[in-house]
Amino acid sequence: MNRSISYAEAIREATDQALGLSNQVIVLGQLVDTPSGIFGTTTGLAAKHGADRVQDYPVSENLMTAAALGAALTGLRPVVCHQRLDFMIYSMDAITNWLALWRFKSNGKSSVPVTIRAIVGKGWGQGPQHSKSLHAWFAHLPGLRVAMPATAFDAKGLLLESIFGEDPTIIIEGRGLFSMKEEVPEKPYRVRFGKALVRRAGRDATLVALGSMVPPAMRAAEILAKEGVSVEVVDPRTISPLDRQTILESVAKTGRLVVAEPGWQSFGAAAEIVSMATEAIGSDFKSNPVRVAFPDSHTPMSMALEKIYYPGELEIAEAIRRTLKKS
Amino acid sequence: MVDPSLIGREISLELFRQMLRLRRMEEALIAEYHPADEMRCPIHFCVGQEAVPAALSLLLKPEDYLFSHHRTHGYYFAKGAPQRELFAEIYGRATGANGGLAGSQDISHTESRFFGGAILAGAVCIAAGAAFGLQHQKAKGISVAGFGEGATDEGAFWEAVNHAGAKRLPILFVVENNRYATFSDQLKRQQTDNIAERVAPFGIKSQTIFGNDAPLVWKTLSEALNSVRNGSGPALVEAYTYRLNSHVGPEDDGFNKYRPQREIDFWKRNCPIVLLRQKLEKLDWIDDGEVSRMESEIAAEIAECFAFAKNSPFPSEANWHSRNFSNATPVADALLAEVESTDFNPSQGEAKLAPY
Repeated sequence: MNRSISYAEAIREATDQALGLSNQVIVLGQLVDTPSGIFGTTTGLAAKHGADRVQDYPVSENLMTAAALGAALTGLRPVVCHQRLDFMIYSMDAITNWLALWRFKSNGKSSVPVTIRAIVGKGWGQGPQHSKSLHAWFAHLPGLRVAMPATAFDAKGLLLESIFGEDPTIIIEGRGLFSMKEEVPEKPYRVRFGKALVRRAGRDATLVALGSMVPPAMRAAEILAKEGVSVEVVDPRTISPLDRQTILESVAKTGRLVVAEPGWQSFGAAAEIVSMATEAIGSDFKSNPVRVAFPDSHTPMSMALEKIYYPGELEIAEAIRRTLKKS
Repeated sequence: MVDPSLIGREISLELFRQMLRLRRMEEALIAEYHPADEMRCPIHFCVGQEAVPAALSLLLKPEDYLFSHHRTHGYYFAKGAPQRELFAEIYGRATGANGGLAGSQDISHTESRFFGGAILAGAVCIAAGAAFGLQHQKAKGISVAGFGEGATDEGAFWEAVNHAGAKRLPILFVVENNRYATFSDQLKRQQTDNIAERVAPFGIKSQTIFGNDAPLVWKTLSEALNSVRNGSGPALVEAYTYRLNSHVGPEDDGFNKYRPQREIDFWKRNCPIVLLRQKLEKLDWIDDGEVSRMESEIAAEIAECFAFAKNSPFPSEANWHSRNFSNATPVADALLAEVESTDFNPSQGEAKLAPY
């Protein structure tokens, strides 16, 4: 029954359905009302639901996020779109000083269900100002939910869950994933926060992959399967809250852990996952956990350096082989 | 200066009573602060800046939203939020407006639609968003942002002004210009001191007034609020006033030598309560007996606020997760289906990025 649609189409469908399900939903962002529509994710929605509900916004990122908070106080459920996460940094005051702590400082009386879509560029020379993920920054803040959907199915379900949830949420969307297709149910459905998915069951090593590292992680598991190594691939889908239990159960079974993260290695989400697992099972590891992440460097423009900079399935597979050798 | 007879006896007396009430509350908190040391949070008192909050307290409606900066007490008061919950909040008690989590500078009262916060122009931007939300839903009420001239140093303020003007948002900006951002003179930070003039080209109906003339403040705010309520777009009132206490806390910060004594003396002579009392006495609308009746009512209210705060329990449970995140998702539960995950084919190439 399910059709196969792309990640971008799934986001568009979720947004369209949310606008249809509730008048409280509004979409704000630069160029959301244009035919290009944030890489096709909002195309046609202004014509269908009204330019007041799918609203172009001045290049005032801090205001846009703060205004979404203010609008949420009056009962709306705003979806804020950033074509490049890098521009969203202007809104760090609104996110850090207001949005993340609004529920806390109101003592639970005031909810601000604001959804922020942040697209992270990758490849074709996006360079240092169009490719930062920064999901770990956001997950560091109490009060913010952070999702990293890797597939069209999750992109739709997590966006709907964010819009109709009660907490502010940042959804990190990997631009490279936008064309990838998957079977996606037509009806509006939810993917819950804090529920990891075991995308592939295995015995020998646990591979936790985040966001745009999920497709290469799956490919790495296939490569290793041909070598007789059984890899369990866990996709947390959201890093705040993080489904620690599913990861720990897998690690307890395999005794080996590799974490693949689409971001800088130091102080990142992979570091948190490795620490958490180490605190829990410590000396029961059969070998030291390994992180596969971006080098601690800004993103280069040159295609030659991009190839070296971004780890893929080969680097992930090699990391897993390393954990196996040490046993 | 506006003659009180222009706004009538009833409003003039109520303005006076509300200013006196706010002044006495602040003085009582200052007196109690040390050496008891039971209020352990930064408090930015508003002694001398009573005219704007008192006038707003007579003019705002329950459906209106009010957002303020760190000097919150006057604005909390202006929205009619319960004073004893303010006292309990400052004392860090579970019965405080925010259960003791926020304190003076971050206090809010959701039911009263009052929200404070310490990071200046951030609150002005949120106020613009509330105005947008009300306009979008054609709801009753307007949004009011109260802040000092210091907030206008921040770029976020101008983002809010730009958007309010462009979208004709139902928002009133109220600048209490007390000249100093902490200890820094406005003219060290800005080329000129007339904010009202600078926002006009953005499509904001704006004016500057002497902010310690309470009848003038009431009349100006009343007209500006009516204009915003009638859909005539955003307005800004810049009220020149002065804080007689230190920037923060009860201790004297005069050792920073940031303002001359003769300036302080001028504003003491021209404090809004002194000025209005002189006028009311001239009109024979008030006498010592009436003032002492007000004083004893206010003293009783303050005693009740202190007793409530001091007799309330401290918060005890950590509950860190549920203090930061919602435990329920009622709307998602009602609207969204549960479905099984589908299989994903990982052997697809990444999206080819176009030139843009």
